[in-house]
Amino acid sequence: MADIHFDTITKRFGGTVALDAVSLTIREGECHALMGENGAGKSTLGKILAGIHRPDGGTLMIGGSRKIFHSVPEARAAGIGMVYQELASCPDLSIAENLLLGHTPCRWGLFVDRRTMAAESRDLLHGIAPELDVRRMMHSLSVAQRQLVQIAAAIGTRAGILVFDEPTSSLADAESKRLFAIIADLRKRGVTIVYVSHRLPEVFELADSISVLRDGRLVGTLSRSEATDDVLVRMMIGRPLLSETEIRKEGGPSKILLEVRGLSSPGLLTSLSLSAGAGEIVGIAGLVGAGRSEMARAMFGLDAASSGTVTIAGTETSGLSVRGRMKAGLAFIPEDRKLQGLALELSCRRNFSLTIPEKIRRLCFLDHHRETALLTAFFRMLGIKTSSPDAPASSLSGGNQQKIVLAKWLARDARVFILDEPTRGIDVGAKSSIHTIIRELAANGAAILLISSELPELLGLSHRIIVMRQGEFVGEVDGTLATQESLLRMMSGL
Amino acid sequence: MKVHMLSMMVFALCCISSVFPQSPNYTIGMSQCNLGEPWRVQMNADIKNAAQAHPEIRVMFKDAQNDNLRQSAHIDEFVRAGVNLIIVSPKEAAPLTKPISDAYKKGIPVIVLDRRILGNDYTCFIGADNKKIGKAAGKWIAALLGGKGTIVELKGLMTSTPGQDRSSGFREGIKGSRCKIIFEADMKWLEPNARKEMESALSRFPQIDLVYAHNDPGAHGAYLAAKAAGREGTMKFVGIDGLPQEGRMYVKQGILAASFEYPTGGREAIETALQILGGKKAAREITLPSRVFTKDNIDKGGEALPQ
Amino acid sequence: MRSLLRNPVGRAVLSLVLVCLVGVVFNADGTFFRWDTHRDMLRLVSVYGILAAASTIVIITGGIDLSVGSLLGLSAVCFSIFSIHRGWGAIPSVLATLCIGAVCGSISGGVIGRFKIQPFIATLAMMVFARGFAKYISAGQKISTAVQSTDGTFSYVPVPGIFDFIGTRIWGDNIAVVTILMIVVLFAAWVFLSQTVPGRELYAIGGNEEAARFSGVPIPKNIIIAYAISGLLCAAAGIAQAAQELQGDPEAGASYELSAIAMVVIGGTSLRGGTGGIHLTVLGILIIGYLEKILSINAVGEETRLMLTGAIILAAVLFQKKGD
Repeated sequence: MADIHFDTITKRFGGTVALDAVSLTIREGECHALMGENGAGKSTLGKILAGIHRPDGGTLMIGGSRKIFHSVPEARAAGIGMVYQELASCPDLSIAENLLLGHTPCRWGLFVDRRTMAAESRDLLHGIAPELDVRRMMHSLSVAQRQLVQIAAAIGTRAGILVFDEPTSSLADAESKRLFAIIADLRKRGVTIVYVSHRLPEVFELADSISVLRDGRLVGTLSRSEATDDVLVRMMIGRPLLSETEIRKEGGPSKILLEVRGLSSPGLLTSLSLSAGAGEIVGIAGLVGAGRSEMARAMFGLDAASSGTVTIAGTETSGLSVRGRMKAGLAFIPEDRKLQGLALELSCRRNFSLTIPEKIRRLCFLDHHRETALLTAFFRMLGIKTSSPDAPASSLSGGNQQKIVLAKWLARDARVFILDEPTRGIDVGAKSSIHTIIRELAANGAAILLISSELPELLGLSHRIIVMRQGEFVGEVDGTLATQESLLRMMSGL
Repeated sequence: MKVHMLSMMVFALCCISSVFPQSPNYTIGMSQCNLGEPWRVQMNADIKNAAQAHPEIRVMFKDAQNDNLRQSAHIDEFVRAGVNLIIVSPKEAAPLTKPISDAYKKGIPVIVLDRRILGNDYTCFIGADNKKIGKAAGKWIAALLGGKGTIVELKGLMTSTPGQDRSSGFREGIKGSRCKIIFEADMKWLEPNARKEMESALSRFPQIDLVYAHNDPGAHGAYLAAKAAGREGTMKFVGIDGLPQEGRMYVKQGILAASFEYPTGGREAIETALQILGGKKAAREITLPSRVFTKDNIDKGGEALPQ
Repeated sequence: MRSLLRNPVGRAVLSLVLVCLVGVVFNADGTFFRWDTHRDMLRLVSVYGILAAASTIVIITGGIDLSVGSLLGLSAVCFSIFSIHRGWGAIPSVLATLCIGAVCGSISGGVIGRFKIQPFIATLAMMVFARGFAKYISAGQKISTAVQSTDGTFSYVPVPGIFDFIGTRIWGDNIAVVTILMIVVLFAAWVFLSQTVPGRELYAIGGNEEAARFSGVPIPKNIIIAYAISGLLCAAAGIAQAAQELQGDPEAGASYELSAIAMVVIGGTSLRGGTGGIHLTVLGILIIGYLEKILSINAVGEETRLMLTGAIILAAVLFQKKGD
C-alpha cells in the first residue's frame, strides 16, 4: 500500500455539487482526518475511496496507479475498508452472520459452517467487543453495540486503508475510548486511517494531519502541530465559535410544567419521578442502555406497557394517545432521525407539517398558504438549506435533516420538550445553533428534558443533571457543580 | 380472549354440522371440477333437484375449484368414505384417469359427466357434443340469414376443447353458404370481455348482421355493446348453453335470436345412477340431445335439434 | 427531454404517448381516430379505474389490497339483490351497497392496523371470504331480472331505473355515465390524498411508519380509514359493473385486483409506499386502457395479446424505475 492521491475530484448529486475539484494527498501509514460541517463533502470523499460513489471528474491514484472503484467489493479487494456512519446491517441475522456477510465459511461449498463461523467472528470481535455473544441477533443489540460490530467487520477485512465515517456518532464515551485504542493499534500495524469527523477532541487525539472541507472545496490541510481549536473552527465554518462552557443560563425554577411520578415499564424502567419547571433545562445522563430513550418513549405514550403518571402543564396524560399528549403540550425529538424522526423519501414540507395537522387545516382541507408561511418562517429561523421545500428529506445533509426534525416540533408551540440526542451526528456549526435554540426555548418558558451522551453538552446547557443507570435514577447534580468526572462515576456506578 | 376463541369454535362447529345433515341409504359422491361457472352450478342444481325426488339417495357434493389434484383427492376421499356410486365431471382427462380407474376397479360404479377420461375404466359416460351443437348453430344461422351475411364470432377460451369445438363446428355449419366471419376475438367466456371486443368490432364494421358467441353471457355482452351504440336493432345475437336464467331468459326477453342448449346431464346422471344402484344395466354412452330455444318455441320448451 | 424523464409524471406521460403512437400506426382502418373508440375505451377502464383509485390509497400507506376484485363482485351481487329482487329504491340500494363495501374494507383495515397482520395476508383472506360470501348469497347464480320462484319457474321483473341510468351514455351520447363516475371518484381520491390532513398522514405512514408514530399520527385509525375508503370505492365499482351488465355476477371482478395494481404501478406509484398519487394512477389507467383497446380493435389473437401485454407492462415499469 502507498500514498493516496485525490486529483481534482468532482462529484455531483443531481443539481448539487458535493465535491468541487478537491485535490489532496494522504500519506501511507498516517491517520488523516477529514473535517468539515455536514454537507461539506467529507463523507463523500471517503465514500469515493471506498467504492460507494464514483467521481464525476478527476482521478484517484493509489501508490502511483490510477484507480476507479465501481463497487464496494472492488475497493475491498484493493485493501480498502469502511466503517459507515449509517448503520448498515441485517437485523435478523446474528452478529456472526453479519460479520462474515459476503464471505461466509462453507462446507462443501454449500452448507454454512457454523463452528468456523463462530470462531472466526469471535476472533474479529475479540479486540473490540469481547463481551458480545456472536450468536445474538443484530436487532437485539443497542445502536452502539451495532456500531462496534460494524467496526469489527471492517477491520476484519485486513484492509490496508480504513475509512471511518463519524464512527463515534452513536457511541458513549467509554466505547469511544475503546475505539481510539483500536485505531492506535491499527496504526501501529501500518494501516492508513482516513478519519471523517467533525468532533475536534477526537481529531486532536488521533490525527497526524487534518484536511478541512467547506461547501465541497478543500479549505486546507494542516499537520497536527499546526492545528488549534480556533484555526480549525474558523476553517470549517468561517467564523469563531462560542466556547461550550460559556453556555450557561441562570434563573431558578418557576411554574412546574412537567411532572413524572412513578414511571415504570417492566424490565426497562423502575419508578422514575422527576419534575421540570418553566425555563428549566434538565439534563439526563447515562451510559448507552441505561434506559434514557425508553423513559422518553414511555413519557410520550409510545410504550404501551408503562405505568405511572406524566403531567404536562397541568394535564394528567395517562391513557392519552401520542396526539393527546402533544395537545397537552409535549414534544419529543427522537434520537434516530432516519428511523424515527423523518420519512426520508417524503418531501421536507410533508415531514415538517406532519406534527401540526390542526394548524394547516382549514375546514376539511389543507391550507397550503398557511403551511408554506409556517414552513418558510421556521426554516429561516433554523437556517435550513434546501433546494426546494418539496425536495425529499433524504437529499439534505444530516445537520439540515436534524433541523427539520427540530422545526416540525418547534412549530407546535409545545410547553415541554424531550430532546433525545439532539446533536448526534451533526456538525459543529449546526450543533452550536441547536444549542442556541435550546437555550432560547428555555428562556421563552419551556421546560426541557435533555438526553445526551455528550457530557460537555449536558454540562453546558443543563440547570440540573439527573443520572440514570439500569432504568433507575441514581442521582441528581446541580448543573453548576457537576463535573465530567463526577457524572461519569455515577453513570458507571463506581 | 380464550372465551372468544371457544365461542368461535362452537359457532364454527354449529355451522359445519348444519352443512352436513345425516340420513343415509345410498350415498352418491359428486365431484364438480369448478363451481365458478354458472353452467356447472346449474349441473349441480339439476343433480340436486333430480335427487330430491328420491329420498333413498343422498348426494355429497365437492367442488375441485379448477384443480386437478384436488379433484383426484376427492375421488380417493369418496372411495375411503365408502360411497355407493361416484359421479364426476372431470377437469381434465389425463390426471383424473388413474384415480377414477382405481375407484372403478374397487367395484364402485362411476358416471363420468361432460368431459371424457382416457381408457375404459368407468361405468357410464354422459355428455353432449359441442361440435355437433356448433355445427347445428352454424346451419341454423346460415338459414336465418338467408345464406349470406357478416358475422362476428366471440369465442370462448380457445385453449379449451369446448371453445375449439364450438368454433370448428360452427365453421363447418356455415360452410357452403356466403356467410362470412369478419371479426373474431377470444372473450374467455366472460361477459365484460365480450362487451369490450364487441365495441371494437362495432367501431370497425358499419355492417354486422349477426353475432355468434360461444356462450350466452358472451352474446348478452355483445348485445349490451350494440345497444350502447344504438345498433342492436340491425343485428341478431346467438349464444350457446341455454341455461334457464341466462340464455333462455335472454331469448324470452327478445335479446337473443336463439340459444342452443348445452345440456348439463344432471338429471340423466341421477336417472342412470338409480338404474345402476337398482342392479339394472345402464348404457355405457349417453349422448345428450340438444335443443334450440327461439322466441317462438321458448314457451313450449324449445325444439330438439336433429341428432 | 432529460427534465421530462426526471419526474415520474413525465415518464408516465411518455409511456402513454408511446402506446398511443402504436395506436396511430396500427389504427385498424382509421378506427383509432374516431371518438367512439376512445369513448368506449374510457367506458371499459371505468370500473378498473375506480379499483385503481382504491388501490392507490392503500398502496400509498405501504399496503396492498387484494380484495378489490372480490369486493366488486360482492357489491354487484348485493346491489342487484337489493334493487332487483327486493325492489328497493335506487338511493337505499346504493347506500346499503356502499356501506357493505366500507364495512368489509374496515374489517381488513382493522385486522391490519390493530393486529399488525400483513396487508397481503389480511386482504387475501378478505378476497377469499368476500368471493365465497357473494356466491353464498347468490347461490352461485347471476342475480338478474329473471327471478326464480320456489317451484323452479322464472318470472321476469323490469330493469330498475338506476341500472339504466348508470349503464347509459350522456352528453349527446359522447361519454358513459360510468366514466363520469370514475372521474368523480378519481377527483375525490385526489382531493383526499393531496388536499386533506388524513391523506397526508397516509403518505407519512407509507414513507416511514415509525416516524409517523413518533409524530403522533394515529396509525391504526388511518389504516382503517384507508382500507374502508378502498372498500367503499370497490362497492361503487361493483354498482357500476352490475349496472353495465344488468345483473349481479358473483364471479365479477375475478383477477381485477391485478389489473388495478398494475395500473397504479405503471403510473409510477411505488409499492413500497409513501410516494406517488392519483395523478399518476390516471396515467396508468390510460396506458393500460389504450393498450387493451389497440389490441382489441386490431383483433390480435389471445396468445399474442397476453405476451404483448406482459412485455409492455414490464417495459413500462422498467421505464418508470429508470429515473430512481
